Amino acid sequence: MTSDVFLFWFLALVTVVSGLSVVLMTNPIYSALSLAMTMIGVAALFVTLNAYFLAGVQLIVYAGAVMVLFVMVLMLFDLKHELQAFTRGRITGGIKIASVGILSGLIVGAVTMGLKTIPAEKADIAAETVAKAGGVINTDTTRTLAENLFVKNIFGFEALGVLLLVIAVGTVALSRSKGGSHARD
Amino acid sequence: MVNHEILIAILLLSPLIGFLLNGVRFRSHNYMLAGCIATVAVAISFVSAVLLFMQLVDADAEHRRLAVSFFEWIAVDKFKINAGFVVDQISSIMILIITGVGSLIHLFSIGYMHHDKGVTKYFAYLNLFVFNMLILVLGDSLLTMFVGWEGVGLCSYLLIGFWFNDSAKAAAGMKAFITNRIGDAAFIIGMFVLFVTFGTLNMHELNQLAPTVLDASWMGAVTIGTMLLFIGATGKSAQIPLYVWLPDAMAGPTPVSALIHAATMVTAGVYMIVRLNPLFIMAPNTMMVIAIIGAATAVLAATIGLTQFDIKKVLAYSTVSQLGYMFLAVGVGAFGAGMFHLMTHAFFKALMFLGSGSVIHGMHEEQDIRKMGGLRKYMPITHFTFLLGWLAIIGMPPFAGFFSKDEILWQAFSSPRGHWLLWVAGVLGAVLTAFYMTRLMALTFWGKSRIDKSVHPHESGLSMTIPLMVLAVLSVIGGWIGIPHVIGSALGDIPNHWEHWLEPVIKTVPGVVAEGAEHAQHDTSTEVLLMCVSVVLAAISAITAYVMYTKKEGVSDKVAKAFGPAYELVNKKYLVDEAYFAGIINPLVNTSRNLWYYVDVNFIDKATFKIADIANGGGSFVKVLQNGNMQQYAMYIGVGVVVVLSFVLMR
Amino acid sequence: MPETNLFTDIGLTHYLVLSVIMFSLGMAGVLLRRNLIVLLMCIELMLNAVNLSFVAFSKFSGKIDGQVMVFFVMTIAAAEAAVGLALAVSIFKRFKEVNIRFFEHLKG
Repeated sequence: MTSDVFLFWFLALVTVVSGLSVVLMTNPIYSALSLAMTMIGVAALFVTLNAYFLAGVQLIVYAGAVMVLFVMVLMLFDLKHELQAFTRGRITGGIKIASVGILSGLIVGAVTMGLKTIPAEKADIAAETVAKAGGVINTDTTRTLAENLFVKNIFGFEALGVLLLVIAVGTVALSRSKGGSHARD
Repeated sequence: MVNHEILIAILLLSPLIGFLLNGVRFRSHNYMLAGCIATVAVAISFVSAVLLFMQLVDADAEHRRLAVSFFEWIAVDKFKINAGFVVDQISSIMILIITGVGSLIHLFSIGYMHHDKGVTKYFAYLNLFVFNMLILVLGDSLLTMFVGWEGVGLCSYLLIGFWFNDSAKAAAGMKAFITNRIGDAAFIIGMFVLFVTFGTLNMHELNQLAPTVLDASWMGAVTIGTMLLFIGATGKSAQIPLYVWLPDAMAGPTPVSALIHAATMVTAGVYMIVRLNPLFIMAPNTMMVIAIIGAATAVLAATIGLTQFDIKKVLAYSTVSQLGYMFLAVGVGAFGAGMFHLMTHAFFKALMFLGSGSVIHGMHEEQDIRKMGGLRKYMPITHFTFLLGWLAIIGMPPFAGFFSKDEILWQAFSSPRGHWLLWVAGVLGAVLTAFYMTRLMALTFWGKSRIDKSVHPHESGLSMTIPLMVLAVLSVIGGWIGIPHVIGSALGDIPNHWEHWLEPVIKTVPGVVAEGAEHAQHDTSTEVLLMCVSVVLAAISAITAYVMYTKKEGVSDKVAKAFGPAYELVNKKYLVDEAYFAGIINPLVNTSRNLWYYVDVNFIDKATFKIADIANGGGSFVKVLQNGNMQQYAMYIGVGVVVVLSFVLMR
Repeated sequence: MPETNLFTDIGLTHYLVLSVIMFSLGMAGVLLRRNLIVLLMCIELMLNAVNLSFVAFSKFSGKIDGQVMVFFVMTIAAAEAAVGLALAVSIFKRFKEVNIRFFEHLKG
């Protein structure tokens, strides 16, 4: 049992348990905190996959900004506990769970069927090609990422910037609709 | 010499233009303008007819035929019909009658209808009628003739039901049209049979092909075809069993009765048979049926005419009776005599109808002859012209009716297809005719006045009396162009113009003996004898009626009581209308109503309601799915993804 | 071919299966939870699962395109979360409730 194997299993466990508690907890604050934990787990998994830059971005953006935003909004609502957290209706609930289960089963089945014979060799081949290319990618994915992003996908990158601008303006506009001190109540 | 094609075109189109001109102004009350347009239109047609007739007279006897084809109407494989029109010996007589008598009646109508609110519409309809009648007589194929046939039926309906606000009058119009239609159905099937047999509907070709058919049995094609055509003629010309519309048609204005139901439309059946005489000669069975029905109609209608009290109804039954004579003539093979009687009847019957119109107008719309009497003093011109018409119809020589009716009676007796019983029926009819016409004259014009004190009768104006006078002159001299040889040779060799004129187009019945043969001697004396017998009997009958109704009051009522139930039956027209209603019309109406109720309302409508309910139910069943719960919508998406994915992965 | 042990040899399959589990958890949460904010959080969970699978594919195929994709997805997800939360705030201001059982206006 090598360390990365152990690491993978541990991180997988943490992530799944946190994900479960996001869905199952009735108190929304607890849900939010569980989600933050999930994101940290995912960031760690990124590290095991050699995507260091992305791991960092994940932590900063998701766990740092988005979750804070969620918690802040929850704080605004001041909800103590949830009346009726889950959907009523046994039949529809049953259908929902069933469909989710079947979906996951299908995909897992497809994945295992399709990739049964490949995994270890694929990893080796990938490592070999990477090693042949000078081993640059293996350790310095950030650089490759940057080259790809700023050279090949520069348009998308800039478009993202514009998108963020639009989002910012939109959000401010939304929250300026009649309400607040001018609310009807 | 004007081109005959142009003349025929003017002849046909002039009344049509009159119809259009009056039709677009149909709300106008200006009777003078409408009347002038209409009368001038028909007068122009009359002038063209005279010119065409003169062209025919100038041509030699074998080539008296002016044909024109304006355009090709139908061309389907072997079936070709042109818009073609033929003026030959027979149709030239018809167009002269139609346009001549027609223009006189138009002139009469100006005075008669001047106070009516729909006067322009009336004149438009009259012109349309003349147009259609001309198409009927001039058409060169059965189908073209049928166009006119239907058209005059339509105009008859429009004109009989002219005062349609009165539901009884409107019903009379419908009765005429529907009865006609039954005849038309038979006519159409007859056309089918003839086309299948001969391959053509062109009348000239039919006449030439007719002798090639040898099968003259009851089931033969020619017999069936001609029988069906004859049934169509019974509808149009009011014979048994389809005569019931003609008395009811008196609901229309009187000039309409004069034009349509005396002079022109009702003669269409006779004309059709005369036109196709070679074809009918090849079907002796049909001709026998025609003769029998003609004779029966003549007698039946005459008996009903004895008991009627409406002046127009008496004339209507008289028309039916005289039409019976025409059919009797063509049934025994005397086509020329039939046409002759057609012409003279047009003169004196139109005269009498117009005379009755003048009486009605003068009596301020009174039509019951029990309320008239002694009108001779108040309406001298009407009385005198009516008198001449009366003398013509009862067959007194030398008036027109004598020559034509006598020719028919002689042919009924002596033709190879005639029978002495038919002659007896004809004479019986003549006796009855004399009786009821004299009764009419006596009750209306002679004797003591039974006029109500409030009514002041007056003579009619010039526009109404001039046509009366012209027609009276024609009733007197009209018969002189067909003087039979018997009399003609006695009076100094006056030839029978009528017979000579029609000779090229009338085929003689096989077995007829030509004039001048040995048997002619016998026949001459027989003919003279029979002539005298019928005239004397008619005279006796007339004198009897005169005495009964003018001198001895009350005799007629005693006679009526003596006959009791028979009188009641005849007075109610033998209950024929009631029989038709009970036997045919009511069962049909009831069947239709039941069908409507059970099939349409119960079944079909309910089926559509059920289908609508199913659609509705289906909709409301599905409506449950859309409950606004967004998570459920997401569930549907999820389920859909699962299904699709499973399909994709299972392959 | 050496025996591949599911437990000791971590391959692409493992990461993908993990991603599927997370994704289905997130989908279940979207379908079952009634709080609007928790709903949005479950959507974020789904997006994270997808990101994970992208990066796994990127590593195991040797191409960098997967990570570029993740970059974009992350940005978009953050933006969408911001807008969603702004909307939630507006809804709360108007209706004083964020439980979606009260919002069945699409009915009929």
